[in-house]
Amino acid sequence: METFKIKDLSFTYPGRDRPALTHINLRIEYGEFVVVCGQTGCGKSTLLRNLKSILAPHGKREGEILFYDRPIESISHREQASRIGYVLQNPDNQIVTDKVWHELAFGLESLGYDTKVIRLRVAEMANFFGIQSWFMRDVSQLSGGQKQTLNLASVMAMQPDVLILDEPTAQLDPIAAADFLETVKRINREIGTTIIMIEHRLEDVFPMADRAVIMDKGKILIEDVPGRGGKVLAELNHPMLLAMPTPMQVYESLSKEKDIPLCGSPVTVREGRTWLTDMFSRRQLTNTKIDDPAEHMSSADPIIRLKDVWFRYSKDDVDVIKGLSMEASKGRLYCIVGGNGTGKTTALSVIGGINKPYRGKVLIKGESLEKQSKKHIADSLVILPQNPQTLFVEKTVSLDLMEILEQKGITPEEKQKRVEEIADLVEIRDLLESHPYDLSGGEQQRAALAKVLLAEPEILLLDEPTKGLDNYFKQRLARILKKLTENGVTIIMVSHDVEFCGKYGDVCAMFFDGNIVTTNTPKRFFSGNSFYTTAANRMSRHIFENAVTVEDVVNLCESNLNANDPGRESKRKAEQVKVQK
Amino acid sequence: MLRINNGAGGQIRPQSQKVRDLKDTFSTYHPVVNFAFFCAVIGFGMVFLHPVFLSLSLAGAFTYAIRLNGKRAVKFTLLFVFPMMLIAGAVNPLFNHRGVTILGYMGDNPLTLESIVYGIAIAIMFGTVILWFSCVNVVMTSDKLMYLLGRIFPSLSMIFAMVLRFVPKFKNQIKLISKSQKCIGRDVSDGTLRQRAEHGIKIISVMIGWALENSIDTADSMRSRGYGLPGRSSFANYRFDSRDRIALISLITLIFIVIAGGLAGENNIQYFPYIKTGEATLFSLFTYACYAALCLLPVFINVREAVVWKRLRSRI
Repeated sequence: METFKIKDLSFTYPGRDRPALTHINLRIEYGEFVVVCGQTGCGKSTLLRNLKSILAPHGKREGEILFYDRPIESISHREQASRIGYVLQNPDNQIVTDKVWHELAFGLESLGYDTKVIRLRVAEMANFFGIQSWFMRDVSQLSGGQKQTLNLASVMAMQPDVLILDEPTAQLDPIAAADFLETVKRINREIGTTIIMIEHRLEDVFPMADRAVIMDKGKILIEDVPGRGGKVLAELNHPMLLAMPTPMQVYESLSKEKDIPLCGSPVTVREGRTWLTDMFSRRQLTNTKIDDPAEHMSSADPIIRLKDVWFRYSKDDVDVIKGLSMEASKGRLYCIVGGNGTGKTTALSVIGGINKPYRGKVLIKGESLEKQSKKHIADSLVILPQNPQTLFVEKTVSLDLMEILEQKGITPEEKQKRVEEIADLVEIRDLLESHPYDLSGGEQQRAALAKVLLAEPEILLLDEPTKGLDNYFKQRLARILKKLTENGVTIIMVSHDVEFCGKYGDVCAMFFDGNIVTTNTPKRFFSGNSFYTTAANRMSRHIFENAVTVEDVVNLCESNLNANDPGRESKRKAEQVKVQK
Repeated sequence: MLRINNGAGGQIRPQSQKVRDLKDTFSTYHPVVNFAFFCAVIGFGMVFLHPVFLSLSLAGAFTYAIRLNGKRAVKFTLLFVFPMMLIAGAVNPLFNHRGVTILGYMGDNPLTLESIVYGIAIAIMFGTVILWFSCVNVVMTSDKLMYLLGRIFPSLSMIFAMVLRFVPKFKNQIKLISKSQKCIGRDVSDGTLRQRAEHGIKIISVMIGWALENSIDTADSMRSRGYGLPGRSSFANYRFDSRDRIALISLITLIFIVIAGGLAGENNIQYFPYIKTGEATLFSLFTYACYAALCLLPVFINVREAVVWKRLRSRI
């Protein structure tokens, strides 16, 4: 029996010509785990919102949505509230009450259950989701991951048949996101709840899902088992291919080569690894190392230097930064990766002069930071904070961008020109007249970047700039950063995004326990790690020495496949590979 | 055996110590019991001016305040309550010249023994009530007040919960914004007064936008979970156990006896024109005892709990 049957659904927002959804046909079986993906603005949220009348947007709707063979409109608010659970993107905004226990009970109170039933259900949820230890807390004391888990739990307390999640992990760090997705998977497996989820982290979610629905421009492009979608995307040369898990991308890029084993594309790193091993078991490996351009970079003079910097927030606190020393050269993209709570953001604020170290020195352009005035520092150095929304203080984006130019003492025409230039650079030209809060997460990130770039800094410090961006925008961001470094801007970036740093960084450093543990070029850095590394490296490290990105793996594979015919030598090598496997 | 015990005790100490600081058994009773108790002691404390009642109430308030706040209560009493009592006690004889026992004259006005005694009584009453309120502050947390309010006005308690959710969120966002502004060289905390004011206004205006924007999500989340359906119930984490029942019944009994005693005139005292109290009978002694029991109820409960624990531990 289908949980949802969507028949020929079209939807147009009021005042728009182009429909947001056109002729959607989809059946979602009971107990199925369906992941919906697509680029920003492809209509995936609109589709999901239409599955619950109370959240459905206003507009013209055609076609039919059946929930257990009954039209969705005919199902009462009460029944929908309890049977169709909906979790939204922002963990903070969904929480209504001030206490964890009260939030868990909120939905059940609305349905009018008595105290006894609510107590039981709440207890069940606290157990299932591991909430016991923070059950009595104020919600304001929770971490982002805990908040989103609470939202999920308070929806599950109503025992829904189907759980709809709209990018639930977009604002979480990778570890909290993985935990959250694992919980969703558990709900699906152990309770049998149907799951429909929009998600960007396909590497994590594809292995769990029964089916992937890939949407494009209001239509369903592909609807298949997750592993099989890549082929169509590769044939269409669709940008969504970039969002697919690494093994799929490698497989699809290589699938034009005739001589590779065809078995449906690998989704997980394990499958990718097996596939690579099989492919090269009969071949000679002529080239196992990729040329690393970063190694040949001439060492430029360091523009930022930290010498044994120690910092803590107050006298009685513990040290957050412990003897940190680092050097960043002019015109480089310096990436700092590392787990949560290791002090990365604090390190950034120390470099930016917002927090003063109690021991050690921060030298910017050879001068001690302490000796420079605040104004002087602000002229040459800006920080893009983690939450870009907090940068905006005006009614429209263009006013906001103007605001930063106020103190520069230039004519209004000049200002206008500069704003337009920068808007073109980050591609927000048509968003200039919108309210900053109306923009999507990715758009806000770009507008914020525009704002800090207008200050024309020599040094740019970025805190999690890829958070909430899809892979397509990440590529754009990388292009912008590249242009900046070519113009001599030094960028230090703090990130969880291993893939991004591995692909675009000039230098990567691992932050742990208030200090930098190791620094190297991305290729050396990631090929030296075995856990904290990119998916491409994890899948290929037993064959190739330093492949870190999808391109690296593809290039090495191609050069080896094109090499001369397998001979005696290759058999020996293949044996070695087998042994390693 | 003993050594093992010590070792384990040493390990969990940091945690248990923290718990012990906060531990007050009376606070763990049902909010209705807490509320009834404070209504009674504060109500009686404000009405009764009989020295015995006053001193009983003061003793109860002081011991419980110490129990709850420890050293802070002593400090609070010495630095705030005590001076205030002195002032109240001293002011009365300056303006009140009734009474027959004249001790001397200030200018033309007589200074009477009765007015001094009355001043002291009033001062003690003030001090006692303030101490009781300091206990209320600790025991009646926002949850409990909200719960009690929710019993009477369910929708009001929901609004309260939302406000309590919203205020810290709003504050946090302002903090984030001012931090972020620092990142791009807009430090709200310095600059000329005008610059700072301008900046403050900007932040407030953007905060309104932010609040409205986010409230859309919150509204969606509420409606999606069935808010607005008829027949909403109200869940609370509090359970009315048998110990709550026992406490409430004894509380009510004590209150009745004290009121009966009051009606019978046991707490009557006349200050003017001369001090006169009723004869101390057996019944009045009984009333005193009941009032003492009432005022010391939380302390009594705490002590009993401690004794029970001690006995349990010695048995282990």
